[in-house]
Amino acid sequence: MTLLDFARGPALQWSLIILVTGIIWRIVGALLLSSRKDLSVARRKSGLNDGLGAIATRSLPAHTFEKRIRFQHVTGYAWHLALFVTVLFFGPHILFFESLLGFSWPALPNGIVLFSAAVALAILIALLIRRANHPVQKLISNADDYISVILCILPLLTGILAFAHIGGRYETLLAIHLLSIEALFIWFPFGKLMHSAMTFPARFQAGTSFGRKGIKA
Amino acid sequence: MNVSSPAFTEFRHSLANLAGNPQETGMSDDERLARARSTFIAKLNRRTAVDMETCIHCGMCAEACHFYIATEDERYTPAYKIDPLRRFYRREVSPLRLLYRPITRKMDLDELKEWSELVYEACTGCGRCDMMCPMGINISEGINIMREGLAAAGLVPDELNALQAEQRQSNSLFGVGAAELKAVAAELAQHGTMLPLDKESADILVLTTAVEVRLFPEAIAACAKVMEKSGADWTISTEAFEASNLGLITGDKTALRAAFKRVSAKAKEIGAATVIVPESGHAYQALRWESANALGEELAFEVLAISEYIARTIKAGSLKLKPATEIKSVTYHDPCRLGRQGGVFDEPREALQAMGLDLRETASNRRENLCCGGGCGEYAISHGAPIRQKAFELKKHELDDTQADAVVTGCNNCRINLMIGAEETGWDMPVVSLVETVASNLAE
Repeated sequence: MTLLDFARGPALQWSLIILVTGIIWRIVGALLLSSRKDLSVARRKSGLNDGLGAIATRSLPAHTFEKRIRFQHVTGYAWHLALFVTVLFFGPHILFFESLLGFSWPALPNGIVLFSAAVALAILIALLIRRANHPVQKLISNADDYISVILCILPLLTGILAFAHIGGRYETLLAIHLLSIEALFIWFPFGKLMHSAMTFPARFQAGTSFGRKGIKA
Repeated sequence: MNVSSPAFTEFRHSLANLAGNPQETGMSDDERLARARSTFIAKLNRRTAVDMETCIHCGMCAEACHFYIATEDERYTPAYKIDPLRRFYRREVSPLRLLYRPITRKMDLDELKEWSELVYEACTGCGRCDMMCPMGINISEGINIMREGLAAAGLVPDELNALQAEQRQSNSLFGVGAAELKAVAAELAQHGTMLPLDKESADILVLTTAVEVRLFPEAIAACAKVMEKSGADWTISTEAFEASNLGLITGDKTALRAAFKRVSAKAKEIGAATVIVPESGHAYQALRWESANALGEELAFEVLAISEYIARTIKAGSLKLKPATEIKSVTYHDPCRLGRQGGVFDEPREALQAMGLDLRETASNRRENLCCGGGCGEYAISHGAPIRQKAFELKKHELDDTQADAVVTGCNNCRINLMIGAEETGWDMPVVSLVETVASNLAE
């Protein structure tokens, strides 16, 4: 079995099993904890609208705080957007998704995808440096914060190297790229990358709990 | 009431002496830690678990905190203030706790002692960080749980401990009990304002606070004028007049429930359908939003802030106001626990506009309002004075920028803290109460 075979075969299968099992374990484990009904009389009925409203609007930048958090906002939006473009609209990625899902969608030109991958990589490196140096982030960071960012950097870096055929045989570079993604999958349920799933219930409950008091979350 | 009055000077003197008699807990260190642990476990539920799971350590919450903005001390980052709770959750409660235990350390008492300063002195529980968090995490709820754990471990600052012990032992605060309230009622009667004390039945039970009795009796008189003018059937009970609830501030749930029970029992006894909370943000949050959950049953009465009652009676036509003449323009300071934590934003503004006042909003207002810097008992903690003063400066700048004639607020604690700031800095913008402003402009 070559390194590429391993990356495409058992490594992919096991990392996906750990990813899915871990995500379900962590979400269900948190949601299964007890929760008491709020006995105070609501100012107004709150529910789906407040919850979905908070999910949709929580990270919109137009509010009083914006001038103090502009860097985080701009980099946050840019990083997530660049990541989605890179992951979802690169031709070979779409072929991979098609093999799993059975359907496909149009790809973006390689130049655009390469540019977004480079943007995502640059932002992550900048955020990593900021985390290690900004007094607030330095104080509140733990190993998870650094591991998670580094494990996001590696697939981007190895992907760019594989695309550009820099640093070795294409098959080896591709295998390393796949293995870096699988490392990310394995880490995902154990660290803060879980926020990509947990932010939805967190925002939803913020929306409903503030909503019943008549406050926009 | 102004900063040069003898009552205010005397009140500040009594604040300075609060820490003079530290309360001994009589608990061993192991017992303290065990009590904190069991409190955390009891309080960590589904909602808080979701919050604890979601923090990405972005640090944006720091940029909402008045103490961080004013000092740039990274220890005042809200996420850091609840970090022991989050680590405790991961190690003891979370779905992955068996994995975390070998690689994390147990919570210890030294850590809790260190965090007592961050949670009581460097946090007013204002909840501004709740509005900032991009994940939607309710950080102030985490602060409340931290305070409950610290209270269980006997780590409440001496000043708050002294006040709570007084409320628990003698049902009074700042030395104000039934006798002091009756004395104020007698004095107000001499000036033509009658307080209907201890009626056997009434539609509305009106609460007041020790701070009002001692420092702002004119607010009690103003409340009486509003109630009379609106034609209400109301009373104040000398047995259950205190709206302040130190249990909410310190995190002592036993004290919290005891204070609620007194009010709830009195309201039931006299058949009151409504209980009105005076100008006290934390008292409103406590009774309106926390009491039913603490008592384990829905309240048998409606809870209204005095500003809600005023706006409601203006709308109903039973309270008529005339244009204000003494001041033309005002800015309104949203008390955190009345507004951001309580949902009362529009009613005070409607009352001000009903008097024809030019309402000038501060740059941060409503749900994003800057705290006065002294809420949730912070103004009573002597060690907190330096950072409190710096946080006050932030507020002062925003208030000054409005160029209003006065700042109106609906919370006595905010009022006191703004007055302390004014005294310390020579700031001269008048700080006035909403209910007093309304009572001064009742139409004939």
